[in-house]
Amino acid sequence: MSERVGIAELRIGRDPEVLKAYGLGSCLAIALYDPGLRIGGLVHSLLPQRRAGDPPGEITKYVDAAIRLMIEELAKAGASPARLQAKIAGGANMFETEYVTLMHSIGVRNARSARETLLELGVPLAGEEVGGNRGRTVAFDLATGQLLVYCARENRTTPL
Amino acid sequence: MPFRDLTDIQLDALKEVSNIGMGHAATALSQMIGQRVNLRVPRVSVTEISTVPEHLGGAETLMVGVTLQILGDARGSIMLLFPQESAHRLLGCLLQREERTLVMNELNVSALKEVGNILASAYLSAIGNLLHKTLIPSVPLLSYDMAGAVVDYVLIDLSQTGNLALMVETDFSGDAGCSNQIKGHFFLMPDPQTLEIFLRVVAGEP
Repeated sequence: MSERVGIAELRIGRDPEVLKAYGLGSCLAIALYDPGLRIGGLVHSLLPQRRAGDPPGEITKYVDAAIRLMIEELAKAGASPARLQAKIAGGANMFETEYVTLMHSIGVRNARSARETLLELGVPLAGEEVGGNRGRTVAFDLATGQLLVYCARENRTTPL
Repeated sequence: MPFRDLTDIQLDALKEVSNIGMGHAATALSQMIGQRVNLRVPRVSVTEISTVPEHLGGAETLMVGVTLQILGDARGSIMLLFPQESAHRLLGCLLQREERTLVMNELNVSALKEVGNILASAYLSAIGNLLHKTLIPSVPLLSYDMAGAVVDYVLIDLSQTGNLALMVETDFSGDAGCSNQIKGHFFLMPDPQTLEIFLRVVAGEP
């Protein structure tokens, strides 16, 4: 059984579900897993931080807000926040950096925001496949907690 | 103006403006590749940002994307997408040589960016004339990867202001009789403020 997680979406699931996010560029996929209960969540975020004055609505667009919300949702589903482990993938820079602007470093900032938020909340980062200039698809297996990262252009799969 | 409040008349006006721009872009492309270029009627859609990659034929399909920012009196982005076989054929036409597969070397990247530059310039100068606005394309940037990954970069820009994307999309294709037909998608994604500028001009307001 596999569930698709679109842009700015958050899904919580449990063994034997597989959560998938397709075609991540500078977007970041963040996977949280409770190995004890085999419950986990996957979010597909676009922007590093939610700032005061940002329009209300889907806060799962923002890496930091999405992580906090996912932890809350997982706790509601019975997971133990203390047992959670995180894995992240994506955060690429799809277009070359000849002209470096703020926009270009968005992938890097997404990954950095995730690391900082996870550190602040005390969730260990168990693996990451971020940066570079390649698109990625991820499949999060809630039976094992494994995050498979697939790069179509190189036809290569990296397990995290 | 929130994208979902657009009236049918406004959507039609937007289609028409874009159609004129695409006409010029198609002429430029046709001269470059020495083939007739056919245009489909533009589609204007207001969609949830999260569904955009699906509109492009699947988030994992390999595509070549050339993107430019619109600068000047209005802001927004242009994205030109070619399925990989079409990019390969286009390069064959432009560089007059046959490569077995699509290789992204410096020459090919540069040629495809130039196509993006010429199409976007023709498009922007035509709609700029029509609207009495100065619209300038930025330097083109290129990416060859999964469609979802290629477009999320533009979506990020849009997502800062809302959850909806307004896309004016035109499909174009080379000679259908040709065994090596080239197909592509041209997207205009105006910022919300830019959209208001367009609509005011179209409605004849100052």
